[in-house]
Amino acid sequence: MSLKPFYISLITIVLIFTCLNIKEDKSRYTLVTKTKVYNAGDIITLEFDFNGDSDVILYCSNTYGSLILKPEIGNTLKFVIPEILSIKSGILNWELLSDSELNSGQIKIHPKNEISEIETYIGPPSIEAGGNDYTMVVALPTDKLDNPLIDGTKVSVKHQFLEIEERDMISTKHGYGYKNLYSYQKSGRMLINTECLGLNSKEFDINIVPAIPTNFTISTDRVHNYADGNQITTFRTSTIKDRYNNIVSDGTFVSFFITNKDGYKTETSGATINGVATAKVLHPDRAEEWDVKAYIEGIANSDIITISYEKAITDFKVSFSKNNRTVTVGPLQSFMNQYIPNGLNVTLKLFKKGNFEDKITAQSVDGFATFKLKKDRFPKGYYTIEIEVAGIKKSFTKISYE
Amino acid sequence: MSNVNKNILRGIILLSYVLIIAVVVYGIAAIFSYLNTGADRSTILHAEVKQVEHYSPEINWAPLANEGRLMDKENLKAIEEDYLDAWYVRHIAYMNNSMDGVSDFYTESARVNISNIISTNSKNNTYIEATTLAHNLILEFFSEDGQLAVITDNNVIEYKRIFNAEKLVAEVNEKSTYKVTLLLEDGFWRIRHLVRVKSENYAINPDTNQNLVSEIKGINYYPQNTPWDMYGDSFNENIINKDLEIIRNAGLNSIRIFVPYKSFGKSNVSKDKLEKLIKVLDIAQSHNLKVLITLFDFYGDYSVIDWTLTQQHAKSIIHALKSHKALLGWDIKNEPDLDFDNRTESLVLAWLDKMIDYVRLQDSNHPITIGWSKTESAELLADKLDFVSYHYYDNEDKLLEKYKGLKVKLKEKPVVISEYGMSSYNGLWNPFGHSDKDQAEYHESMQAIFSENEIQFMSWTLYDFPKIPKEVVGRLPWRKNAQKHYGFIDENGVKKPSFNFISK
Repeated sequence: MSLKPFYISLITIVLIFTCLNIKEDKSRYTLVTKTKVYNAGDIITLEFDFNGDSDVILYCSNTYGSLILKPEIGNTLKFVIPEILSIKSGILNWELLSDSELNSGQIKIHPKNEISEIETYIGPPSIEAGGNDYTMVVALPTDKLDNPLIDGTKVSVKHQFLEIEERDMISTKHGYGYKNLYSYQKSGRMLINTECLGLNSKEFDINIVPAIPTNFTISTDRVHNYADGNQITTFRTSTIKDRYNNIVSDGTFVSFFITNKDGYKTETSGATINGVATAKVLHPDRAEEWDVKAYIEGIANSDIITISYEKAITDFKVSFSKNNRTVTVGPLQSFMNQYIPNGLNVTLKLFKKGNFEDKITAQSVDGFATFKLKKDRFPKGYYTIEIEVAGIKKSFTKISYE
Repeated sequence: MSNVNKNILRGIILLSYVLIIAVVVYGIAAIFSYLNTGADRSTILHAEVKQVEHYSPEINWAPLANEGRLMDKENLKAIEEDYLDAWYVRHIAYMNNSMDGVSDFYTESARVNISNIISTNSKNNTYIEATTLAHNLILEFFSEDGQLAVITDNNVIEYKRIFNAEKLVAEVNEKSTYKVTLLLEDGFWRIRHLVRVKSENYAINPDTNQNLVSEIKGINYYPQNTPWDMYGDSFNENIINKDLEIIRNAGLNSIRIFVPYKSFGKSNVSKDKLEKLIKVLDIAQSHNLKVLITLFDFYGDYSVIDWTLTQQHAKSIIHALKSHKALLGWDIKNEPDLDFDNRTESLVLAWLDKMIDYVRLQDSNHPITIGWSKTESAELLADKLDFVSYHYYDNEDKLLEKYKGLKVKLKEKPVVISEYGMSSYNGLWNPFGHSDKDQAEYHESMQAIFSENEIQFMSWTLYDFPKIPKEVVGRLPWRKNAQKHYGFIDENGVKKPSFNFISK
């Protein structure tokens, strides 16, 4: 019986506490700040009318990351969004973290209207003349807080080439604007610059290089037309141009293919300077007729020219020593009967009983070539000796060796 | 006499001398050989490339229709990888409040924004665990020289847990759209501009189907000799075939099996193991048994940064099985409530919550549940599940009371007791344990309660196991031995008395 008052008071206390708790649960927060759109860099505050618990925090996130903020407590709860978030454009989310109902929202931050920088990217840095190839100019205008300016910002892309000066207007989308600048028919250097809201970029340049070469002609240059194996013939191309009449880039590689009258081929080459490539080749040492054609491999070629070389040596003498083992060829005389310059090839072939034994080559010195045939290599017997100089052959049979 | 003694003494001294020398020599040899072991010489150059998958949210590229240069596969892949890594390093940066790695994926002017936030957060003792679970990318622009790309990332699903002074203060689910400008610098695609243009709170309304589960009479199944290692080298179709035949003949209609997360290859699911799993379902199908697949067995990380990897794991398994006729449904995880203490309840529940959404996204036709370890946990997340399942190892007397209490709270939602059983171990480590007879009585009375109240059940388990891996219940012998004897069939393949009450 005596416990009854105790129970009653206990129940009362419990009831009071529950009421208090309910009251606490009913902390209310109402957003006072009405502005929902700001410009980057503005001071952004969120103010809440509240009754109840002031021990709350605010979750706040922008594009780059999230923060927790504590309020300045007065009559209201005032959250000052820190500059590191308020300077970036985009959507800023916030949520008041309290025990009461969900209280969250969004603020939209626009980039500033003033430009501070215009990042310009240009590439590729060299393009081909002719109007098919192009380079791309990409402009990223930003405000002074490094936010891309709003879409639809006008950017003018200006370029100069020879007498041409042009300006194209583009507008940004997703923060960038781009313009393709096509090449002209002439080669040369194009200067480019961009401008946005009165701010100009620095000067950029790109090279318009000549297009691929077109077919060309070749010519030869030589001191005489004798096949003396000593003088040099120079091949020369015409000025090689692309189809827009631009001289091709220096260093364009040209190969000259030479085909002789027997169908054998040889090659010489050179690179262009001012559109002209030269290449040199030694005169043949016998009468020849050469077909020459030049190629820029896979791209262009010349027509075929034919050049002929006349005999320089018409005849020669051969003398044998007493034992026949020293053979002297000469004097070898050229077209004016002058002794041929040193270095003409003279070949000697030996046959024994119709079988080929050996071939020896010597070069002329002061108009003569000498062969010494040793005993241990060519033992006793009868030999046939054949000598060839500048395409002329002479044969001596039954040369006997002791 | 003294001469003999002296000789014995000499002999002993000599022998002990030899022994000491032997011990010393052995000791020196042991030290020498210890000092000669070490790393393989081939590791000196650190030539091996270790690339581990660390972040794999869902990625969808819209068909390419970009302005500027035509995009190719290689460049697109490089952009995707670096862009995702940019997100990853940012998550890590905000988690540790350190700028490690950020400079690789953000240009100088962009990374200032991150370092500002990090310094504020570390001053306020705040850190953030975050991840993104889906990205829907549109390539807007690729510059002619291949050095600049602009993408729009639509509906990025972001999840953040914000800690202040070591306390979780907020969980944030956002769905946002970003405009991203990337520059190719030093071989990295780095973020130059990032602007969030749209954002909203994100929550999936549970769209559950409660009519998918009825009349489950099942059993948890492992082969006798390979419990908890069903898909290893000793995988044997014949054994499984025989076992499932026993199960079917006993009058059961379903089995519950487990897919271990790690040994299936984590985010990169092993094809070989997946084939074995499908084989098990094929066999079940041939015996007309349904299979409840329990995912993420032995998974215990739950950390937010790991979530994308678990999603990839789930995706591979679900896509391989979702059209299989034997599939009953998905049990997201076995007894996740046991991890509440170690990993915090909120983290485990957050992971489960997201995983339920994800599994439903991959397969909306099969019911989803979680195998809670006790009746008290079974209400958690119940709104999002198609049916509730929990394990009951307590006294059979209290079963009905607890079950009915739960049923009242869950209303129409089907409930399955997906594990129950009794160990018949009474030996050295527990002399007062239950006998085979006790076990049979237990199952008899459980079956009586089940059939009287139309309770769906899955028992633990078909066999007594000769060996239990230490990962299951630890090394303690009284636990191990108890766990060995839950079966209806003993170690020698003889049916225990309880087998009569396996189904009715």
